[in-house]
Amino acid sequence: MLRGDEEAFAALYRRRQPAVYRFALQMTGSVAIAEDVTQETFLALMRVAKRYDATRGTVGAFLYGIARNLLLRRFSDSGRELGSEGVVEDVSGSDDLLGDLTRRETIDQVRRAVLSLPGAFREVVVLCDLGEASYEEAAAALDCPVGTVRSRLSRARAMLAQKLAAVRGACHV
Amino acid sequence: MSEDRILEALNALKEADDGLEANPAVEARLLDAFRKHRFQSIRKRVAVALLAAATVLFGIVARPKPQPAPVGQTSGVQWSVSPPVMTEPADDKPRSSAPRAPRPARLREIATGFYPLLDVQPPFERGELIRVMVPAGTMRTVGLPVSEDHLEDLVQADVLVGQEGLARAIRFVGFQK
Repeated sequence: MLRGDEEAFAALYRRRQPAVYRFALQMTGSVAIAEDVTQETFLALMRVAKRYDATRGTVGAFLYGIARNLLLRRFSDSGRELGSEGVVEDVSGSDDLLGDLTRRETIDQVRRAVLSLPGAFREVVVLCDLGEASYEEAAAALDCPVGTVRSRLSRARAMLAQKLAAVRGACHV
Repeated sequence: MSEDRILEALNALKEADDGLEANPAVEARLLDAFRKHRFQSIRKRVAVALLAAATVLFGIVARPKPQPAPVGQTSGVQWSVSPPVMTEPADDKPRSSAPRAPRPARLREIATGFYPLLDVQPPFERGELIRVMVPAGTMRTVGLPVSEDHLEDLVQADVLVGQEGLARAIRFVGFQK
């Protein structure tokens, strides 16, 4: 890719874009922003690919790091954290419509709970629980020690438990 | 909620989002951008190479031409008359293996060494070499033998003129077949 091989770049994109796209989508809840961030991440890769150091982390962690910086810039520019918008699951044509709606409702509740987490806790959940990143990869992407990733993840799960318990409690009242 | 239930819920969300990908239009735009980036990168490299070549060329052209050896730069220098030096103009025409027509014999340039024209030479910084025609009798002034019959003949000479405009030295040039 560094030598200008278009096929190599296309192969790298096809292999890595789903993870980057889902990371941006789960961080923002916006399809449009997720697509923008995915595109910007790979555009940035063209410019900074030479800076990649395999001894400091995987390609996946490098891409997560770029995407995260782009997201932080967007959050900083907008002055607020982005909420859920435009994430649609299609359940039409299902035999068990009621079951699917219940499942979709549950998933939406979890998605909203994740989106409501503070950024530092949301990103570890998105990377490690919703994504494929190992703790080491997450630490490289977030530029923090592995121990910090573990502790943030533990705290994030506890916060999610509280949020979801509150939602369920409200539904049963 | 227990942590197991949380992990279960997160896993459900993960499965729901599994398979989500960016719109194919993103890939098309990126490949287009990659081609432009590559083209710009190549153009930049060519520009750098041309700039480097131009710099080298400028360095060669702008390099000061070698000056003739300073004449009498210090008062302690002993002037000596070197034997005539034979120089031959460079033949810079391309050589060919094809048989050539016989050419007329060329004249070879023969030059003496430089003779100082000033008893006390001021410091030499730069100068110019000027080719002039002088009477052969001039050669006697620097101690070269000239027969009486040829004192009025004209001979070629190179005069070294210093930075202040003074003629510092002279050498005589002849031609031989």
